[in-house]
Order: sequence, then structure tokens, then C-alpha cells
Amino acid sequence: MMRHRSGSPSTGSSDEARQAALFAAPALVAIAAVVAFPLVWAVWESLHRHDLRMPWLGRSFVGAANYREAFADPRFWSALGHTFGFTVGTVVLELLIGLALALALNSVRRGAGALRTAALLPWAVPTVVAALVWRFMFESPGGVVNHLLVSSGLVTSPPIWFASPWLAWVPIVLADVWKTTPFMALLLLAGLQGIDPALYQAAALDGAGPVRQMMHITLPLLRPAILAAVIFRSLDAFRVFDVVYVMTRGGPGAATEPLSLYAFSALFRDLRFGYGSAVSVIMFLVSFVLALFWLRAARYQVELS
Amino acid sequence: MPLACVTALFPGASLSRRLATLAAAAAITAGGCGGESSVPMVTISGSSVGREAELLRRQIARFEVDHAPLRVEIRPTPDAADDRHQLYVQWLNARAPIPDVLQLDIVWTAEFAAAGWILDLDRFGGSREDFFPSAIAAASWNGRTYARPWFVDVGMLYWRTDLMAAAPGTFADLDRIAARAVQDGAVPYGLVWQGARYEGLVTVFLEYLSAFGGAILDAHGRVAVDSDAAVRALTEMRTEIASKVVPADVLSWQEEQTRFAFQNGQAAFMRNWPYARTLLGDAHDSAVAGRVGVAPMPAGAGGAASGTLGGSTLAINAHSAHPDRAYALAQYLTDPRQMAERARVVGQFPPRARLYDDPAVEASLGIDPAVARRIVSGAVPRPVTPVYAELSGILQVHLHAVLSGQEEPAAGLRAAASGIRALLERSGLAGTT
Repeated sequence: MMRHRSGSPSTGSSDEARQAALFAAPALVAIAAVVAFPLVWAVWESLHRHDLRMPWLGRSFVGAANYREAFADPRFWSALGHTFGFTVGTVVLELLIGLALALALNSVRRGAGALRTAALLPWAVPTVVAALVWRFMFESPGGVVNHLLVSSGLVTSPPIWFASPWLAWVPIVLADVWKTTPFMALLLLAGLQGIDPALYQAAALDGAGPVRQMMHITLPLLRPAILAAVIFRSLDAFRVFDVVYVMTRGGPGAATEPLSLYAFSALFRDLRFGYGSAVSVIMFLVSFVLALFWLRAARYQVELS
Repeated sequence: MPLACVTALFPGASLSRRLATLAAAAAITAGGCGGESSVPMVTISGSSVGREAELLRRQIARFEVDHAPLRVEIRPTPDAADDRHQLYVQWLNARAPIPDVLQLDIVWTAEFAAAGWILDLDRFGGSREDFFPSAIAAASWNGRTYARPWFVDVGMLYWRTDLMAAAPGTFADLDRIAARAVQDGAVPYGLVWQGARYEGLVTVFLEYLSAFGGAILDAHGRVAVDSDAAVRALTEMRTEIASKVVPADVLSWQEEQTRFAFQNGQAAFMRNWPYARTLLGDAHDSAVAGRVGVAPMPAGAGGAASGTLGGSTLAINAHSAHPDRAYALAQYLTDPRQMAERARVVGQFPPRARLYDDPAVEASLGIDPAVARRIVSGAVPRPVTPVYAELSGILQVHLHAVLSGQEEPAAGLRAAASGIRALLERSGLAGTT
């Protein structure tokens, strides 16, 4: 194909290439303006000391000092740990529940449209609103969760969720799982509907039960959909901000502080643009590596099938 | 029109600076960019909600009569302290000439002064008048006065007159009375204070700290928050939670949650600001109306009873085109008559010592004026440093971690102290106050 094209009159081909470049130019300019420029700017800013609360220091070039400061700060490392923990925990839960939900929705014949819409509702609720509602439910005293726990006799003295570094994660994770599982389920449902029903009929004829059908037909054929859903969700979960900001602001202490909130407080509370940019750049690099990892996994996936 | 206005507003600013402040300028020019029309103007920004806003408008109307044809415009700002701070930083960093007069939280004064954003008021020959020394200290930086104290807030102890004969003078007594009140089933909580991870927690901690003879920064501006006294103070706070004198719920409570608990009769004691006293006395909403006493916070071992000083000051924008007019307005709003009216109408404590002898003010304080004067004059200011906000942020995280059982008091305070030392080092201000 290439050879054939290079055999055609050279003027025409270069014209075509020029035209193509011309057509692509506006898009490239737009991408440069909204992606590349802010990114380069952030990297440049991260190499400076730029504290709006200390204007007498000016804005001087400090090299990698901001990065060294971040790597020396235990709060940065625990924020990184929280971010990974949150990502793994929520995505696993969302995948399991989402898969169950997708299988259930797929087996429904009547009223499927209405059911699917209903299942998607939590996803349509703005995160801040959902997080506020979950916070009220877990608040002490007076939260409905503690009321239920006590009145059902499960506990005598209700836990104070937001005062404990471990329990505080419960409402955060629940709110996120509640909100984003429908999205996961929808992606998986699309995958399920792409599986040829004839395969199941054939398997049934061969005497395979539902478990074997699940293990040998559904799951292998669903792998691309699962992978796509997990990529989306894990990259999304990695930059978690609003749920935590509304519920705990990263507390108690800094026990639930993810990286995005750490960067936010450096940038917009302490007004340390240099340092905050450095943390943001680190965040970008980590999610970039994460994305590369998933892309590699996806390619492996394609090679397998 | 907007862009032309912006350019007119920042004549000397570089293009990038202009762009960076478009957001701020949009807010400024929202009311039209008349700027200097035929009518001489002065603008003021500050709290603009409720009864406080009405009072301010009334006082400004009188000022305008006295200073005709000068007109005063109020630029509303968000009521939440952090939001207002952020907006001010945007405006002042962009060298916006308006607002001319700014209502500052007293802990911002040093920051804005060091940044060169507000004027040194000593140039107007203003004396320190009869302001409480602590209020003047909080409005000063490097020995110069940068703001006029407007009203003061002080942390104080609210106690239930039906549960005890007199307010406790020491934390040991308070803990004992509170524990008994809980045991007797009179109240579910002994003492409630603001324990969420925010500025309020630092103000409460400072009261315990002074009660035990400690300080955040010592007299030479050195970090002292990891001293033995500080460890004892924080241990006292944590023990109160562990022994259920203070419910662990307070770790997510701010002022209003503590007030609700106390107002519904759920607590024997509450630490709060003066604003709560009028609300608690309102029999319509308050279950404890007529059964509330106010006292200074208790003392600990080795220190003195003290409340944290809060409140507002008025400062002049360094880039104001009319500093004299602006100062006239600030002076008028902080004169004894307006302050007395402020105390009467919105219940805010005046920062002038002499007003506490004024019978009209006495009646409006709602508490024994001798007690009020004792509380205000004994108030401890938070560290006066341009990097206070960041200092407080570091402290908040570690205090909260200690109170929620993640760190030991001594270790948490050591970590906070080293963080604050690094901050002061970075700011180039180490050792100065």
C-alpha cells in the first residue's frame, strides 16, 4: 500500500500530506493550548519557589528543591499510599458489584430499559451532593447509620466514624462505590451483550452448568470490557478529590488525605504555587505510568485473543 | 467595556499580571467601573450579612452625612474567613486600588503588612488610644500599627448554673464537675469544644496551652510548641476525650455544633466565642435559657486562665488612590460611639478598655462587665507572624492526629514544631516577631 502510494506522482502525495497537516492543525493547536501548555507551565512553575503568602521572597528558580521537599515529607508519602489504597479498594469493590449488577441486568427481559436507567441514577447525582448525603448519614451524633446500628442491637455505643483514622474510610469508600458502580455495570453490560448467545446454547448442550459457563465463556469473553472499565475507573479513582474534601477534608489528622487534596491545600490554602505544581506534576507522572501499565496490559490482552 | 476597565484599573501592571487577575477584576468591575466619576468615593469590603450589614450601612450613612459629598460603597465579600482571605489575596497581589478599606481577621494583619499590601497607619499620627494592648499587638507588625481594632472575640467558658454553684477555676475542677454531671445522668456530655481540623481547634488548643504556661512561639519568636507545658496541655485535652468528659464527636465539630449541643441541654460546659450568649439566652430556641453563666476559661497547672483573642480590624489598601479618605472611614467606624452601638446591636465586644465602664455598653454585654473586661484583657493573641495561616495548618493536622489517637502528644507536637521551624526557615523570618 505504502509502496503503491510512493509510486504515484510525488507532487500529488506531498499536496495531500500538506492538506492533511492543514486540516489537523486546528486540532493540534487546540490540544497544545489545553494540554501541552498547562503541563509545560506546571513543570516550569514547579522548578520555582513561588509562595503567594511570602511575596517578599519573590519568584526564584530553585531547580528540584520542591520535589526534594515533597519526597522528604511523610505526609506526601502517606497521601500517596492513601491514593493507591483508595484506588485498589474502590475499583475491586466496584468491579465485583458492577459485574453482579451487569449480569442481573442482562438476564432481565421485561422493563430492561427502565431498570437500566434506574441503576444509573447514582452516577447522575453530583458527587458533592452524594458525598454530603453520605456524610450526614454517618455523622455523630444523629446520623441514621448509627441510629440503625443501635436500634437493631448490633452495637451498644455507636462508633464515631470521622474521629477514627480507619473507620473514616468506610463512608468515603461506600459513597464512591455507590456512586460509580453503575458506570462500571453499564460498561460490563455492553460487553455482556456482545457475547453470542449461541455459545451458551452450545455449552448447555455439552452439559456445562452455569458456573462452568461463567468461568469458560462469560469471563474470558468479557475480559476486554472488564479491562476497559478498570482502566477508566482506576485512573478516575486515582485523582479522587471531591468525596474526601466534602466528607473529611482529609482528616482525622491527615489519615484520609489523598494526593489531590494534598496538592490542593499546598496550592489554594497555602498558596504555594511552586510546591503545589511539583506535587501536581508528580501526580501526573504517576497516573501517566499507571495509564502506560494499563495500555500494556490491554495490548497483552489483544495478543491473547 | 470590561477589558478597558481592567486596563484602567491596573495602569502599571504587566500583561501577565492583568491576565492573572481578570477574575478578581471581574468581581471588582461587576458594579460598573465608574471608578473616579464626579462623586468622590471610598470603598470598603467586609462582612455583609444579617444584622451586622444593616448596622454597617447605618453607620456609613451617618459618615456620609458628616463627610458630604463623599460616598461610600460596600463591596460584599464571602463571609467564610478562608474564602474572603483568598479573594483579598487575589485583589491585593494584583495591586487593585479598591477596596480602599478592608475588614481583616486579626490573624491576617501581619501577613498583609509583611507583603506590603496594607498601609502603615502610624503615618496618620493615630495614637494607640485606649485599645487593649493585646488588640494593638495583633494589629501590629515590626513595631508599626497596620490596622485599627474593630471588635474582639474571645474564647470563654459557658457553664450551666443549674448544675453547679460556681464556674470552676481550674481544669481539674472542671473535669471533676463535668464527670459527675455525666455520671448523674444530668447531661450526656461534660464539656464541648471545637475539635474539627480547622482554625477553631488551634484557638482551643492555645487556651489550654496558656492555661498550662506554654506558648506556640516564645517571646523571641522561637518555636516552643513542643515544650513540656505544651505536652501537658495537649495531654489534658486528650485525657478529657479518653475519659469521656469531652465526647469524641467534637473531632468533627465547629462552633455551631457545640452551640447546638449546649443549647439543647446536652453539655455541662461549652467553650465558645461571645456570639453564643445572646442565642443561648433566647428562650424560644434555647432549652437552657436563663441557666447559662459565662466565665473565663479555667487555668491549668503552671499557667493562667486565658481565652484566645479573635476579632476583626480595619486596614487600608496600600494601593488605595485615596488613603486619607479611607483612613477617615476606618477611624469613624472604630470610634467609641460606633463601637458602643456595635456592642449594643450585634453584641460584639469593643476593643477599647474604657467602653467597659460605659453603662450602655455594660447593659449590652449580657454578662458582668468586670468578667467581660477580665476575659478580654487577659486574652492571648495567636502568633503574630506573616506565615500564621500555614503555621496553623501544620498545627491543625498534628493536634487532630493526637486527639484522634494516631500520634502521642509529645511526638505529635515534636512533628508540628519541626514543621513550623522549617516553615519559618523557608520564609526567612525565623527568630523575628
